Amino acid sequence: MQIQLNHLMPIPLQDKLRQRSSDIWNQDVTFKPGSFVKIKAPSGTGKTTLIHYLYHIRYDYTGKVQVNGQPWQAYSKNEIALIRQQELSIVFQDLRLFEQLSARENISLKRVMQPKAFYPPEKIDEMAARLNVTHILEQSGRTLSYGERQRIAIIRALVQPFQWLLMDEPFSHLDEENTQRAAALIADECKARNAGFILTDLDNDQHFNYDVHYHL
Amino acid sequence: MRPFFDLLKKIIQTGVGKTRFLMAAVGLGIAMLLILIAIQAHTNFSQLLYSSKNQNETADFLVINKTITNAMMGQSAKSIFTPEEIDNIKKQPFVQAFGLVTSSQYKVVIQAPGDLHFATDMFFEAVPDSFLDVKNDDWKWTAGDRTIPIILPNDFLNLYNFGFSLSQDLPQISQETVKALPLQVSISNNVVSDQYMGHIVGFSDRISSFLVPASFMSWANGKYGMATATGTSRVIIKTPDPSNPALVKFLDDNGYTTNQDKLKFSKTRMIVQTIVSVVGFFGLILLFFALLVFSMFIQLVIASCKKEIQLLVILGTAPKQLQRYLLKQFVPLYIIIGILSLLLVAGLQYWAASELATHQMLVSSWPGIPVFVGILLVLWLVYIVNLATVRKYVNNI
Repeated sequence: MQIQLNHLMPIPLQDKLRQRSSDIWNQDVTFKPGSFVKIKAPSGTGKTTLIHYLYHIRYDYTGKVQVNGQPWQAYSKNEIALIRQQELSIVFQDLRLFEQLSARENISLKRVMQPKAFYPPEKIDEMAARLNVTHILEQSGRTLSYGERQRIAIIRALVQPFQWLLMDEPFSHLDEENTQRAAALIADECKARNAGFILTDLDNDQHFNYDVHYHL
Repeated sequence: MRPFFDLLKKIIQTGVGKTRFLMAAVGLGIAMLLILIAIQAHTNFSQLLYSSKNQNETADFLVINKTITNAMMGQSAKSIFTPEEIDNIKKQPFVQAFGLVTSSQYKVVIQAPGDLHFATDMFFEAVPDSFLDVKNDDWKWTAGDRTIPIILPNDFLNLYNFGFSLSQDLPQISQETVKALPLQVSISNNVVSDQYMGHIVGFSDRISSFLVPASFMSWANGKYGMATATGTSRVIIKTPDPSNPALVKFLDDNGYTTNQDKLKFSKTRMIVQTIVSVVGFFGLILLFFALLVFSMFIQLVIASCKKEIQLLVILGTAPKQLQRYLLKQFVPLYIIIGILSLLLVAGLQYWAASELATHQMLVSSWPGIPVFVGILLVLWLVYIVNLATVRKYVNNI
């Protein structure tokens, strides 16, 4: 799956962004399939906005976000849903778990959303074990700490098929050890699928062997 | 889909306003029941009217004439059917066969033979043979025959036997005797007068007139007829169903009249039809309101879970999946209601059939095909309205 940006510019940040240079905004960018992409961005430069544009849940921009050669707007709601089930996964900065579901159910939701599950249910336990969250799997989403929620959100993103994984500060609530574990799991899962990811963060880091670095 | 829908069940609460939903479901059930009963009552009624199992053959013969009003008195031309009026009657859908009643254009005097001292001025009329209820081999006349077969109205003999003869101290006469009487018939116009033999061949309940064969009538009208041919003032029709309200209306609209007794069933039928229509109408109104409440309930469910549904869509749930899930929450209930009301109607029909059977009125003990078609139509309508509602509100999220 190919993701291309053509002169993408967020309308609310337009004036501010024109005064500084950026590798992404108002540029032509093509993300090579399977590559590990790091986008470093200081606060307030539209990091989350970019992720939302890429995932097509915000639309207040000029320019184009093209997916497989077509702008997002060309796809129907059902087609977009299919892409989100099969080709594009995401870890939101604000995590977005269902509080009325248990941790395991939150993960399962993305496992069983498509008619044919990508992984068997045991895979959830395996991943939970790698991220040290096995003991909270049956707890309600409401009672989880931020760190626990973040790891559940990561696992949720990994139990579905994808070619690109979008991550918005995915380790912001994790300590160094858990960050390493999560990064290793993400790298393994991407390799297994020959998938790439786009990760945004505030600072430089050594969690992955990035193929490309961009400054927002 | 199964495990996914199980998770959706925990996310999308369909429990809000459950009582309202159940009441709407009861309303839908009553609506379906009323509609089905109306359809079935209609089916039963037509079965009673037209089915060959119910022996009372309803096809009937009606002699139609214009109503004589005070304004028309003395102007016999006004009671005559014009050719346009005759054509108009002929082309009515309820007219199966049509015949003119031809009247004689000459004077007739009938005399009883021998000592009976009975003589009377008379008239003849003729109708096509197919309209007669008297079947007799003697009912024929060919040119040159001196004997004329005659059919009398049954009422005429009754009037004589039970009215006239008793008061005049005359003997009562049986049908056989009348048939055996040789009558002298003198036919005349102002110029010639001829003698014939009259022979009563039968008595008609259908046509109140003195009938002779059509062949004799046309021959005699030609021979003795006065110059001015009078038109037709009575016609006879055969109709499959004298209770047909359209027939009654046609007669009323045109100022025609006939034997009212034969039309009386029409009133009953109209009353039944009105009641059935009113029941069906209330069923439809109730169905409409049930649909309205269902739509509002769906709207309420979707609105109360708006945030959850938005997140589901963001995570990649297809609107199609949500629609299917939501419909799956409601549609089985509709089908159950449909089956229940169908069973109830089947029970009612079975009971009604056995009740009617004791009065020799045979109707099928099973609901008719229209009922099944009706239930499918109603369920289809409910489904379509639900689908449209779900689609509208899911896509608006």
